[in-house]
Amino acid sequence: MSGPPLATLVDAFASSPSPMVITDARAPDNPIAWANVAFLNATGYAADEIVGRNCRMLQGPGTDRSTVQRIRAAVEAAEPISVELLNYRKDGTAFWNAMTITPVRDAEGLAYFYAAQADMTHVHQMEVSMRGTNDELERLVQARTHDLTTALEQKTALLHEVDHRVKNNLQVISSLMLLKARRTPEGEARDALQSMAERIGALSTAHRMLYSEGDCTHFNLGDFADEFLADMNAGLDPERRRVEADVEPIALTAAMAAPLALLIHELTANALRHAFPGEREGRVSITARRTDAGMRMTIRDDGVGVAAASPNPAGFGRNLVEMVVRQMRGTIAWTDASPGTTVEIQIPIRQPA
Amino acid sequence: MGTGNADADAVLRILVVEDEALIALELECLLDDLGHVTVGVAGNATEAIAMGRSTAPDVALVDIHLVDGPTGIEVARALSADRRTTVVFMTANAKRIPADFAGAIGVIAKPYSERVVASTLDYVADRRAGRDGPACPDGFWPAPV
Repeated sequence: MSGPPLATLVDAFASSPSPMVITDARAPDNPIAWANVAFLNATGYAADEIVGRNCRMLQGPGTDRSTVQRIRAAVEAAEPISVELLNYRKDGTAFWNAMTITPVRDAEGLAYFYAAQADMTHVHQMEVSMRGTNDELERLVQARTHDLTTALEQKTALLHEVDHRVKNNLQVISSLMLLKARRTPEGEARDALQSMAERIGALSTAHRMLYSEGDCTHFNLGDFADEFLADMNAGLDPERRRVEADVEPIALTAAMAAPLALLIHELTANALRHAFPGEREGRVSITARRTDAGMRMTIRDDGVGVAAASPNPAGFGRNLVEMVVRQMRGTIAWTDASPGTTVEIQIPIRQPA
Repeated sequence: MGTGNADADAVLRILVVEDEALIALELECLLDDLGHVTVGVAGNATEAIAMGRSTAPDVALVDIHLVDGPTGIEVARALSADRRTTVVFMTANAKRIPADFAGAIGVIAKPYSERVVASTLDYVADRRAGRDGPACPDGFWPAPV
């Protein structure tokens, strides 16, 4: 085999910046036979302090025993191995030594082991500091998560508290009105107080629907209509008068709850009050359907009709309805359906996000 | 109100456990209109339990949040221990009711309407008189069986 002259090779090894060592596989306990200058510099030993001794002299208290075991097994089997091992210099300081140990054979078999090494301490230091940084980040994330969880719990508690107070206050307002109504002689003033209490009742129903589910920004119009009707029908003689609803489960923003509650209450109560004079039997129906632009709500009764109904001097109910429809940017149309009256309302809805 | 029943066995002796004076007063007037008798009004747990013992009411209408905190639950538990008393919660705080309803038969959610109070009391009277399967009124949420 041709190649560079042997002397050149020895020279190159001797002056290489990589620490190198050769051990004598045939001598007892595999002692170091030769080491280059880089190796002596890396370990702090002089040549005569290490030649003739086994490499284990570089091991110390922090050296991993299982890695040492792997090296020993490879050496016994005369197989090459690459490992990283914590070694110690002459002055006792530790360094991470990455080494490749290769068996060298001559005509008579295994003769030497050649080990090329590299100081990996800086890599290990970086790993350690990275681990420290990761631990610190982990700790920060945990602390932040804990803070956020606490803040959320506080927010939820506050929401419940405010919700409870609003409901309680609505109850107080309603009780106040009814108390005053009781002490007011029968007539217009008493009727006014009672209808105000009923309007507050409608707002209360709307409020009961909000926050009852997880989502406090939207409510379901179908559920609202059911709840509203339950309350309305509780006061009616089912044989004679009935309010029915056929309302699609439309998701609406919470801001629409109060105006819609007032609207439905006003139109329904109005129909019940004026469409069925005396003992006339009747039925009020509420339907709501989604349309491309929003929704169409129809409130229909089979009573005496707009023309025949006794005119309401104050017209407050109708005024209120028109105001609320305008607030929701909708349109309203009253038609005499003979029998009864049909009120059709179109309300634009922005798609819930 | 219209749904108030005049039958003798439908007249209920009722204890009102409510810390909000206006609500309690109005409720008392309503019960009177409906032909029932209010045997007492209590604003805190100790008072409520003592009144329950001394009057043994047919029905107790119990708010959860009282002067001394959310003590309506323990009031319900104490009052319903007496078999003669039927407990109904009336609260804006229905989320606080425990799974077993603390012995109450159901809840009227605040803000309530007078109609729901009236029909619930008719229902309670029917139930107490052992009349067959009275329909549960709208607006009243029964405790899980």
